[in-house]
Amino acid sequence: MNFVLRMTFRELRASWRRLVFFFLSVAVGVGGIVALRSLIQNVGVALTAEARTLTAGDVYIRTRQPLTADARTAIAARLSELPSVERTETVDMTTMARLLGEDDVRTKVVELRGVQSGFPFYGRFNLETGRPYSFDLLRDHGVLVGPELLTQLGLSVGDQIAIGEIEFTIRDVILSEPGRRLGGFSFGPRVLASHDAVEETGLLMFASRANRQLLLKVPDAVRVESLVDQLREDLAEAFVRVGSYRGTENRIERNLSRAENYLSLVGFVVVILGGVGVWSVTRVFVQQRLKSVAILRCLGATTGRVMGVYVLQMMLLALGGSLFGIGVARLALWAVPDRLTDQAVTVAGLSAVSISLTGSAIAQGLAVGLLVSLLFALVPLLEIRRVKPLFLLRQELPVLRAGVDWVRVGAMVVVGVGLVLVASWQAASAEIGFYVVGGFTLVSLALYVIGRLLILVIQPLQTTDWFPLRHAVLNLSRPGNQTRVILMTVGLGSFFIIAVQSLQTNLLSNFTLELRDGAPDMFLIDVQQDQVEEVQSVLERWVSRVPEMIPVLRARVTAVDGREVQFDDIRSARQAGLGREYTITYRSRLAENERVIDGEFWDEQPSLIPEVSIEQDLQEERGLQVGDFIQFDVLGRSIEARVTSVRAVDWDDSRSGGFMFLFRPGVLDDAPHSYVAFLQGPSETEARARLQRDIVAAHGNVSIIDGFDVIQTFRRVLDYVVMAINVVGAVAIFSGGLILVGSIAMTKFQRLHEWAIFKTLGANRRLLTTMLVLEYGVLGTLAGLVGSLGALVLTWVLTQEVFEIAWLPSPGTNALGVVVTALVVGVVGVGSSIDVLRRKPMVTLRAE
Amino acid sequence: MIELRSVSKTVMSGGEPLTILHPLDLSVPSGQFLSVVGPSGSGKSTLLSLLAGLDTPSTGSVVINGVDITALDEDRLAQLRSRSIGFIFQFFHLIPSLSAFENILVPLEIAGTKNAGERAKVLLEKVGLTDRGHHYPSQLSGGERQRVAIARALANDPPILLADEPTGNLDSKNGRHVVELLREVNIRQGVTVVMVTHDAELADQSEVVLSMRDGRTDVITDGKISD
Repeated sequence: MNFVLRMTFRELRASWRRLVFFFLSVAVGVGGIVALRSLIQNVGVALTAEARTLTAGDVYIRTRQPLTADARTAIAARLSELPSVERTETVDMTTMARLLGEDDVRTKVVELRGVQSGFPFYGRFNLETGRPYSFDLLRDHGVLVGPELLTQLGLSVGDQIAIGEIEFTIRDVILSEPGRRLGGFSFGPRVLASHDAVEETGLLMFASRANRQLLLKVPDAVRVESLVDQLREDLAEAFVRVGSYRGTENRIERNLSRAENYLSLVGFVVVILGGVGVWSVTRVFVQQRLKSVAILRCLGATTGRVMGVYVLQMMLLALGGSLFGIGVARLALWAVPDRLTDQAVTVAGLSAVSISLTGSAIAQGLAVGLLVSLLFALVPLLEIRRVKPLFLLRQELPVLRAGVDWVRVGAMVVVGVGLVLVASWQAASAEIGFYVVGGFTLVSLALYVIGRLLILVIQPLQTTDWFPLRHAVLNLSRPGNQTRVILMTVGLGSFFIIAVQSLQTNLLSNFTLELRDGAPDMFLIDVQQDQVEEVQSVLERWVSRVPEMIPVLRARVTAVDGREVQFDDIRSARQAGLGREYTITYRSRLAENERVIDGEFWDEQPSLIPEVSIEQDLQEERGLQVGDFIQFDVLGRSIEARVTSVRAVDWDDSRSGGFMFLFRPGVLDDAPHSYVAFLQGPSETEARARLQRDIVAAHGNVSIIDGFDVIQTFRRVLDYVVMAINVVGAVAIFSGGLILVGSIAMTKFQRLHEWAIFKTLGANRRLLTTMLVLEYGVLGTLAGLVGSLGALVLTWVLTQEVFEIAWLPSPGTNALGVVVTALVVGVVGVGSSIDVLRRKPMVTLRAE
Repeated sequence: MIELRSVSKTVMSGGEPLTILHPLDLSVPSGQFLSVVGPSGSGKSTLLSLLAGLDTPSTGSVVINGVDITALDEDRLAQLRSRSIGFIFQFFHLIPSLSAFENILVPLEIAGTKNAGERAKVLLEKVGLTDRGHHYPSQLSGGERQRVAIARALANDPPILLADEPTGNLDSKNGRHVVELLREVNIRQGVTVVMVTHDAELADQSEVVLSMRDGRTDVITDGKISD
């Protein structure tokens, strides 16, 4: 061991310059992973807090009816096992707030929420006066209200409003609050009162649409999911929904978890790029050390000890590189945090996000750095085993033993499996790990095959008269050539860079689709038939695009093909899922966000024979089919309609809304119904308020839902995610570029000797440069092509299978990738060889 | 004592078997200074590589001090080389990344010798390079490099010293100096020396000369071959 250690340090002293690039590769990879991990973990903490802020608790039990005594007993029994769990109840209802005073008939639809003193478990209220929220504000019939209520009713803090039988005093204005789902819309301004006061209003007795919620705070985070499962079982017979803040029903949560997967993946890609760098450096390094290895063997060192010297050397460098990378990650995080922190804090009253290196990220970075270095260095290092001391007696460079080396093949399998494991670990998904490593392997194989083909294809050029071309071709095809090595490293490098770039384009375009300009942010409901024209004329004054008024009716499904759908048995009703009330509409054409996937859509002609088009979920999950007859109860009237088509609705595109049941015009036209409209209101707050006032003043029954703030919040969250993706993409591309440059630069060591001989034979710099340009240009173009192709496939698979978003091919990115790869390879190849070009041949020849 | 018992070497060349060393019996008693001479391609280096266990014979066996080295695996052979055989090459084969002193240190450390540093210093002094110990091979002249190589070969006091054209890359003055060194360790320490050379004058310095041609022994002479 003494020998191995001493030898390792002596070798490192001499070789560190040549291995700087190894060091950097590891540092970039580890730096990337530590920075991204820390970011993910920090943001993850903030997002978890955010998700909790959205529900205001860890676990919720929601119901439309008051909880039955049985249900309460079941909950109490379950929670008695967990004494540390806290609970609080809320009740929500849409109701009317009136102004006090005999003559004043002004009313406003409000969202009334009653809370108990424990609320909220997570998140905090932002009040206009800046004072901290306290339950005391709600005592003695106090309320906190949304700012729109004041502007729309012309009230101020201290004034009174009446809800039901109770008069309330406005104590403050809520600017933001926890427990309100992002991306959802409200029916009116928030009014927050105490739970008891809401009971006193007497409205709960009649209001069938009150939403009651029991929130739980579970101090032991790992218990959350199991508690949800247990409660679902306990309450299976009750009409309740049990969930946790972790539920991913919500679009934003889906997007955020997509972003997290993406970040983990990019972190791993950076590490793989580092690994490719490690591989190419080790390979060249081993080639340069073959003679020293033979000497050590000749002096009596066993294979194990010699391997020990070099493995230890690589591991020490990997350790150093990893530590350096962690330092770089620390610096990188210093550069980013303020904006991110501010963003996160702004969003929905988050407590501050601290962006710092986390212990687990550092540990993971070190582990991955050492593991990936070992994996990638292993195969080239195994060459050392095959060096025989006999080579010292032959007057030539050691040629390695020929034949299949099963140990090496075995090592490759170990490396492959190891990489899949590390990838799966890093991306927290075996699926992603498998795809990434699979893509990596496929592209490596493709590059290998193409390298072979290339050598065959260019054979005829060996007889050309043009000296530089002839030698460029000879260089590409002679034994022990660099063709396949450069194709592999550069091809993989460009593969990853192009893939990250296209993936980024795909993810970003998906986000912007959901946020695109023109997305509706204001909703009119309950517009009566005779008000449609007047409402539209009011809208014309305020908005550029007057929305279509969509007729809506409420309907319940009572039977399918004669089988009655009953409401009595909760389980079967829930399974059938058809018992609930649906909002239905009729029209003669498809909306922009719809397409027919089964059956045939009706033509423009109204028909008196009822026809209905169903949404695809009803087909897939409820088993409804084209040709089925569905019996609806529409306002007491029974209608049996035949299913004639199935539609896929893009729910992310909400401009035209979405309907589970769409009727053919003709049958419902004369039934009493109201209209709704989705529109984009004016962007100035003042104008929005006036628009609302104008409509409500003329048509008191019309409710306006203003989603502006919610959408703004949603946009801020997405901006934050988009920025993170951009930063991460830039890091990956930068490190990929660095590693690419390094891999090419390393190949110059192999031409030192050859060029010295060319020069002594009279070749000038121009000739040598031309040879280089031709050689690297061809290689770069091919590597770029294969990388681009691989990226196309990988992006497609990832968008389809993992992120589940639409795939947008980006030919521009791919074409640019090829050109840039060819240029980079050409420029770096020539550039890194400049000192070789300048070097006097004797210096090289005498160096040994 | 080195013994070769009908040792031969045949390799495949262009699909055809090519015998580069025909069956040979030879014994080199301990303490002998044997020179192997002959033109290029006569099989000298092949013979040396077989003696050192660097290559495996196609037939026959090589026995060193009673041990059949053809039966040893690579690691045993490495051990044998570490303790019993010193090497000197035409192209010196010093490790370029190590200083002269460290190059001498390597075999001592491989063998796990105590006071390796002290021993390396003594060896440097012995080859007259005390003040060049910290120089790297590229900073030394050819003669100096070969003297470092000799010091390295002698580091573990091996009973056998194998030299492959040790003067091939040196001028005649340096060449003579190297052979004098070899002669000295042969006489003073009783080290068995086998030297491959094509320089008849240098071969004159040895007790026995083995002359080879086309993979066969041509002549074996005791004493001076030029007589």
